[in-house]
Amino acid sequence: MSRNRGLKTWLSQMLATWRREFYLVFSDIGVMLFFFGLPTLYPIVYTLIYNPEVVKDQPIAVVDQCRTSKSRELTRMIDATDAIKVDYYAPSLSDARRLMNEHKIYGIFVIPEDYDKQLGRREVPTVTFYSDMSLLLRYRTFVLSLTNVQLALGEKLRGEYMDDLGLVASSAPGINIKQEGIMMGDPTQGFASFVIPGILVLILQQSMILGVSMLAAGASERRRRNGGIDPLTVPAAPGAALLGKVMCYVLLYVPLVIYILHFVPEIFALPHVGNVWHYLMFILPLLTSSAMLGIAVSAFVTERETSLLVVVFTSVIFLFLSGLTWPRYAMNSFWQLVGDFIPAIWGVEGFVRLNGNGASLVDEGHCYMMMWLLTLLYAVPAYILLRYRDRSARLRAGQLL
Amino acid sequence: MHYLFQAIADGWRQLVSRKIYFAVMLFVPVLGSFFFLNLMSEGLPFKVPTAIVDLDHSQLSRTVGRNLASSELVSIQYTPEDYHAALELMRKGEIFGFFLIPEGFQRDAMSGKETTLSYYNNMSIFVPGTLAFKGFKSVSVTTIGGLSVSTLTYAGLPQDQAMELVSPVDFDIRGPGNPWMNYSIYLSNSFLPALIALMTSCICAFSICEEIKRGTSARWVMRAGGSMFVALLGKLIPQAVIMTAVGVMVQSLLYGFNNFPLHNHAMHMIVAMWLFVVASQWFAVTLCCIVPNLRLSLSLCSLTGILAFSIAGFSFPVEQMYGAIGIFSYILPVRYYFLIYIDQALNGIPLYFSRYYYAALLCFPLVGMLGMARLKKRCLNPVYVP
Repeated sequence: MSRNRGLKTWLSQMLATWRREFYLVFSDIGVMLFFFGLPTLYPIVYTLIYNPEVVKDQPIAVVDQCRTSKSRELTRMIDATDAIKVDYYAPSLSDARRLMNEHKIYGIFVIPEDYDKQLGRREVPTVTFYSDMSLLLRYRTFVLSLTNVQLALGEKLRGEYMDDLGLVASSAPGINIKQEGIMMGDPTQGFASFVIPGILVLILQQSMILGVSMLAAGASERRRRNGGIDPLTVPAAPGAALLGKVMCYVLLYVPLVIYILHFVPEIFALPHVGNVWHYLMFILPLLTSSAMLGIAVSAFVTERETSLLVVVFTSVIFLFLSGLTWPRYAMNSFWQLVGDFIPAIWGVEGFVRLNGNGASLVDEGHCYMMMWLLTLLYAVPAYILLRYRDRSARLRAGQLL
Repeated sequence: MHYLFQAIADGWRQLVSRKIYFAVMLFVPVLGSFFFLNLMSEGLPFKVPTAIVDLDHSQLSRTVGRNLASSELVSIQYTPEDYHAALELMRKGEIFGFFLIPEGFQRDAMSGKETTLSYYNNMSIFVPGTLAFKGFKSVSVTTIGGLSVSTLTYAGLPQDQAMELVSPVDFDIRGPGNPWMNYSIYLSNSFLPALIALMTSCICAFSICEEIKRGTSARWVMRAGGSMFVALLGKLIPQAVIMTAVGVMVQSLLYGFNNFPLHNHAMHMIVAMWLFVVASQWFAVTLCCIVPNLRLSLSLCSLTGILAFSIAGFSFPVEQMYGAIGIFSYILPVRYYFLIYIDQALNGIPLYFSRYYYAALLCFPLVGMLGMARLKKRCLNPVYVP
């Protein structure tokens, strides 16, 4: 009987904490900004930055030392690609270099003097392209387009040569083997399509940690003002308080999650092929583990504003640990291990495949379970912290009496 | 002059008064440098985990498989039965791409019929997807080419004629400055300065607005002889000394320890770092003048600092962004530092071509000074808004 009553008080304490936490969130403009403003606006801003997706018509100069119809034809083929625009027809390499130095072009295409002659002699001429290396995306686009031009030109010339030699295709096995590369997940190879789904998950975690630690810092400032007691905490057992808090935060994030994970990709027509129930289910442990982590790290945050300094820096690190830019398999085991302890690392990995490759929750079972595991793991320090706070508050109250 | 020294002494005292200054100004940049340089020390993530689906099981398809296995870009880790099994592996994240050899490949190839080698790459994860694509493409091109050459010579064509039939034109694509496509050269050189800018401006805003929050700002200005400028210099000079030293340390890690490209005199970059730190500080001062409130100014500093990583065009070119978005990159100091780095360190072109970028960094203090009167009014009359 008494046990039953204990459970009842425990539950009512939990609900009281839950309600109080709602009140605390909605009465604090700073926390509201982190909880609602940040996750609402950041995805839009980020997607707008990357929304052009692919780089197009990058200006280059052609140094045509051959000046024949053949070399002009090659120039036209280059100009006709999506990625490249021939802006200048430079008389010499040094003139082209000056254009490059003046940041007017990002590449120089050099056709040698004897290009036409070599083709006529059935030799293999070499044309050279110098790419600007400041951004790898530029270089990558140049390489892909030029390789396609090379293959197309090769095919055309091969047809002519074979006619000249009197060969037919069937007499030259191998000539008719085609090849095709199929891009999955992000068929246009767009930049926003690749980077945004990962960033979305990271935003969820970081905004949660920011908001939670700011709430905790607010409490600790109140404690400083009131002789070690926070007048706005409701008395509750640490376990009940922890659960009440986490429940509040998770519930607050439900509409945000639907907005971020469902509507943002829809609004910007990003790859979005996952089953909506699967990825909503998938993200639940991310929310719980981030909330636990937020409560745990708030031990280090004593002032409302310092939480920002601590969390902001980690965003960059987490982005890299998630393997979005530098894949996880290529990290050394130390950084892999560090990443294993961050909920968003699993969240990003799983959500990217759920969202882009149509993976199911079962396929991402490992990531899913790891996030639940992290929830349990961070519940321990969070519980200890709340217990310590509860004890010291009661102790002080006793002293005051 | 006396006031200036006193202000600087006060500024130093503030820096040693709290652990957060030490953490943000020294610990974070050092940790960040170690993180980036250690994480990407390999340069490129070679050996992308991939799979091969061989539906032909012929001598020729095995040759293709062996060629793939010898590629440095991909590592064949699975041999699934069919397309669906391979797709399943991709969805689980075990592989980033797979190569598919169709049924009857050898038969069709040898009889001169059309047949297609296809390769599937998971571009949801960009870098391994691209590398898998590159590895697959080069292997299939060389395999097809090699096959053609050997059969053509077999048919009686001279070797050189067979070669030119396979590849009639040679494209030589060169990347001066970073021919290895080293990711660390590309990312560390832009992300570490952006981290320094983030920390410099955050700590600058923090140190100024902390005075307002604690209500000590009036005393701060008074001790500087009532001059806002002197009071600011008192805070900015000690911080600039530390952050420039940290910045030069990062540069020495990049150009000295790691031997990343530095094709002009090191002084060009050191001066740029100094101007960049000062510009970041005054950028923060400008924000503090607009919102003289600790939380809001700090939020603005970190908001712009974090967005700088994207908007300054380190990975996606600014001129390809929407104009209304791209224009914001030019209000960030790190954009100019990045452009100077490209010119002076990566490409090593004459200083003349970067003159405007250095000048732009010099403009940030001027802009900051415009708002000092407003900041002074707030400092003498501090109101803390949570």
